[in-house]
Amino acid sequence: MSTVLEQIEQQIAKLQNKAVKKNTGTIRAVADGVARIDGLSDVMYNEMVQFPGGTIGIALNLEEDSVGCVVLGDVSHLKEGDEVQTTGRLLSVPVGKALLGRSVDALGNPVDGKGPIDAKESFPVERIAPGIIARKSVTQPLFTGIMAIDSMIPIGRGQRELIIGDRGTGKTAIAIDTILNQAKINRVGLASGDPKFRPVYSIYVAIGQKSSNVVRTIATLEAGGALEYTIIVAATAADNPANQYLAPYSGAAMGEWFMENGMDALIVYDDLSKHAVAYRQISLILKRPSGREAYPGDVFYLHSRLLERAARLDGKGSLTALPIIETLAGDVSAYIPTNVISITDGQIFLETDLFNQGTRPAVSVGLSVSRVGSSAQIKATKQVGGKLKGELAQFRELAAFAQFGSDLDAKTKSQLERGGRIVELFKQPNANPLPIEQQVVTLWAIQKGYYDSIELKRVNSAAVSIRDFFATRKDALLTKIRTKAALDAELEAEIKSAMDEWKANFAG
Amino acid sequence: MSVKKNVQQAARQLYKLSFVDGRLTQEQVAGVLAYVEKTKPADSLALLKAYQRLIAAEVARNQAVVEHAGSVSPETLQSVASSLSKTYQRPITATARPNPALLAGLRVRVGDDVYENSLASQLSQLGSNV
Repeated sequence: MSTVLEQIEQQIAKLQNKAVKKNTGTIRAVADGVARIDGLSDVMYNEMVQFPGGTIGIALNLEEDSVGCVVLGDVSHLKEGDEVQTTGRLLSVPVGKALLGRSVDALGNPVDGKGPIDAKESFPVERIAPGIIARKSVTQPLFTGIMAIDSMIPIGRGQRELIIGDRGTGKTAIAIDTILNQAKINRVGLASGDPKFRPVYSIYVAIGQKSSNVVRTIATLEAGGALEYTIIVAATAADNPANQYLAPYSGAAMGEWFMENGMDALIVYDDLSKHAVAYRQISLILKRPSGREAYPGDVFYLHSRLLERAARLDGKGSLTALPIIETLAGDVSAYIPTNVISITDGQIFLETDLFNQGTRPAVSVGLSVSRVGSSAQIKATKQVGGKLKGELAQFRELAAFAQFGSDLDAKTKSQLERGGRIVELFKQPNANPLPIEQQVVTLWAIQKGYYDSIELKRVNSAAVSIRDFFATRKDALLTKIRTKAALDAELEAEIKSAMDEWKANFAG
Repeated sequence: MSVKKNVQQAARQLYKLSFVDGRLTQEQVAGVLAYVEKTKPADSLALLKAYQRLIAAEVARNQAVVEHAGSVSPETLQSVASSLSKTYQRPITATARPNPALLAGLRVRVGDDVYENSLASQLSQLGSNV
């Protein structure tokens, strides 16, 4: 009891006996999560303001004689005439490793019922992206565990790779698989005791999604053992637009902490279309002039300033961003998709037709690209998968032509058969990311024609069988591939003898 | 709820007409009111309300409202007025307003700025920190 009294006495002693200056204003109107305030003459752009009852808001519109604020929290108790005061601070969120394994809201408050978060530091939600001097080019790979992506559209640490496609084409699944793969790699890497190993921590930002979907994602990550390396920032459809607008910036601040402290992080923004919609809603209520599709004029800046914060820093860590955009009827030339395509370093385009045909992940080879990732790709993948993208693109072209039913020459037929086998090979179930060494042996086999004699329908099961064979019997060889990261003559000879052994058993 | 843009602009125009040499004068305000009464512009109620808000903000900028729980001597008021006039570099008058809710101490409001040194605010700060 005496400790409690001492605490109070200390607090009383701390209180300075001098006047405290506050800049205040009064609420003129409040509606739809936005308050219009008279006064607040000293308020700064993006400054946190305090409403009665501890509710906070952000000053977004500074006008001649009033201020437009978004209210972050419950607005039901606010009324006209209430006093509002400036805080002199920018909005900050807790950051650090204490957040790993936790689900938080846009302000960093825990929403998972696991108690308070013991975060020692906080970072401002809005920060200027690193400049040119501080950056380093992307050279380290970030494996998604998805063969079609790692071999054809590789992603590097510090890259911004957009995942784009219609609803229900597997955009979130790719992001979740990538997070699961990072956890898998982290476990193996940390267990190996390699001092050079750099784990990748993940941040998943859910914007405007159904709460049930977020719960399902958390359950998938938990089941895959990835939650301990992941922070979930949830601003669901039930949250007000201000929180949905802020959530990606909060997630970026959490990711920046890892980057600034020499660690690598991955951030998934799921999705930025809903983020733009939330921002449009706020802007319209704030009576900002609207432009194309009723979005405000600064909707490009909304996403560019967010995605520019993903970088690889010289002498520090990196922040890789996987923004997601939902298209309508495959229209990539709509306003928000074109904006984000132009900001990012490439895109993975998912096609509804491919998805419905059973090609999953439904990656469109022709429309997908990685602008900086190839320099981050390991040599072994380049050796076995360097030509795959071209072959697959050629196959799609030929397949479309072959539909006319004309007679085909032997070369075209073989190209079609080979393309069909590659398509089969790239089919991969959900939540099953593959280690890069297994991808290398699978692709090596197609390069050397091991699947040529196998019936098309059985190609995928043959590939699974190869991977099982290597995982159970040739673990040392897989480790060698992983550590060497390049195929030399000796390694290729070892793979060949192992593959022959598999083929004898598989055929038999 | 929200004031129309043209009404706000007109109110701002009237507000500007209420000044002589950078100072708000009673005569000018009376003149503006007479003009509005005579011309009866559209939305005159909204116009006058917007005008009133602008004038009230200007009056508040030049007036320090000293809220107090106990008694305040005229010397204290004078000292507050002169100190604030020095700070803001414009003449500020002080008026006293009793407010027992402060428990002890003073709260001075000049326009949007509030200077607070009262027991009530310190207790509420203590309450939020403990």
